[in-house]
Amino acid sequence: MVRITTIVACAAALLLPGASRAQQWNSAGLEQSAIDASKTKSAPPPRRDLTGIWDAGGSGIAGPGHQSAPWTQWGQQKASAYKPGNGPRAVYEADINDPLSTVCDPAGFPRLVLYETRPFQVVQTPNQVLILYMFEKRWRVIGTDGRALPKDPDPRWYGYSVGHWEDDFTFVVQTVGMDERTWLDNAGNPHSGELKVEERYYRVNRDRMELTVTIDDAKTFTKPWLGRDKMPLTRAPANMDVMEMICSPTEVMDFRKNISDRTDKK
Amino acid sequence: MVEFGRGRTLDIDMRTHFTFFTIAATALLSVVAAAQNLPWNNPGGVQGLAAPQTGPTAPAPKRDLSGIWDAGGAGIGARGMPAAPLTPWGDALGKTHHSGDGARMVPAPDINDPLSTMGDPSGFPRNLLFELRPFQVVHTPNQVLMLYMFEKRWRVIWTDGRQLPKDPDPRWYGYSVGRWEDDYTFVVNSVGTDERTWLDNAGNPHSNDLKVEERYRRVGRDLMELTVTLDDPKTYTRPWVARDKLQLRLLPPDTDLMEMIPSATEAAAVKKIYAGEK
Repeated sequence: MVRITTIVACAAALLLPGASRAQQWNSAGLEQSAIDASKTKSAPPPRRDLTGIWDAGGSGIAGPGHQSAPWTQWGQQKASAYKPGNGPRAVYEADINDPLSTVCDPAGFPRLVLYETRPFQVVQTPNQVLILYMFEKRWRVIGTDGRALPKDPDPRWYGYSVGHWEDDFTFVVQTVGMDERTWLDNAGNPHSGELKVEERYYRVNRDRMELTVTIDDAKTFTKPWLGRDKMPLTRAPANMDVMEMICSPTEVMDFRKNISDRTDKK
Repeated sequence: MVEFGRGRTLDIDMRTHFTFFTIAATALLSVVAAAQNLPWNNPGGVQGLAAPQTGPTAPAPKRDLSGIWDAGGAGIGARGMPAAPLTPWGDALGKTHHSGDGARMVPAPDINDPLSTMGDPSGFPRNLLFELRPFQVVHTPNQVLMLYMFEKRWRVIWTDGRQLPKDPDPRWYGYSVGRWEDDYTFVVNSVGTDERTWLDNAGNPHSNDLKVEERYRRVGRDLMELTVTLDDPKTYTRPWVARDKLQLRLLPPDTDLMEMIPSATEAAAVKKIYAGEK
């Protein structure tokens, strides 16, 4: 297997232990032992600084999806059209209609922080916090220049984000204007264009950060709920070159064709 | 409602969705509002906005490319590039590329450009030769990071002195290392690019042996020049320059770039329309 960029191949390889050994190129992430070790002792955190490469390990993947708040009637109706590959409503492989896994449409935000949250790099500029994700090789900008979120924005796959420091170690991000076509997670939880997302990045110490994601979408859910609850993130070495993990429509179409071929032969 | 020629239209709700295709169409018209002074969704790329600076500019900072850069209309490269002559191997590969522009151009329903018909990754170096929309450069102590508006993808250029990999597994965006040749010239070398990607909109091919050199020369505070040299002896009889001192203008640091992400679903919808034309 020469080509390692296939997302399907990557997903399989990353489930194997020891796939993430340190190397100069194409790291799949930290060893679990490195993630565990970071719980014990570390230097104090720098102030107002999230820069670095962060890895949630296996918990970032969240293959089965998340336990959401109850749906509203509108949410229920929207969800009934979603045929996910995981979670309580999982359907057979050939019936899945997940726009990410079946046609490689953009994961979008906040699915990017609820599913396949692989290693990501945080960079700060004087007026931005930039987040560069290994998954999809996508980036997003969080404005820290005091600008207000747009009123009634045109939807974007990755929304509109602003952030501020609540204290020296807690960075809070608000996001609106997300595209209703995207799913929230692998269980096919839907959202509306009115979704508001809050991310709280709490830097515990030099090597550890916690991420809490709150989903607030009154049109879809009867109450706000936590998509991530203090998900621990471990700082990776600054020279870690992360592998590519990009969904290609051509590859996924070939993959799907193989599945339906096999299904036909059954 | 977007016109796609011959009276056919694509019913896209432009209020609801920015699509790659509607943006590609509108951005080529000069009706897009000036890129400055929009708090969100700056399109950049307007002809004239990034015209070569005539007046004086402040001196360039040393060893610093950070900022948001815009090549204007010249970045788009819709027609493709005049390449060096092809080798027999390159010619055979090029014949399988049915492009929507340039010398290999075919009628719309027959195009097999993996980017425009499938939404596959543009890859490197095509993202420098086609749809080079505004991009942001960020420095860290050991990297130069490039964040592209088109596709909303990023790539890393390592500046920690590491060697390029020998015989790497191909990646869509390759493997890159960079160094400062002098205080104003940053040189990037890349290998390990994916043979499935096209070089440009004319369907110029490349092999896995492709080596790319990018030279970023910061002329002044507000102006930078990019030269891209392609060296792929398996495909071309000699190295050739695909971007020759392409001029890039510095945009205000608070510019919020619009999204311009090809979606496979949208690409399929457009393909259906073309198929109907056939």
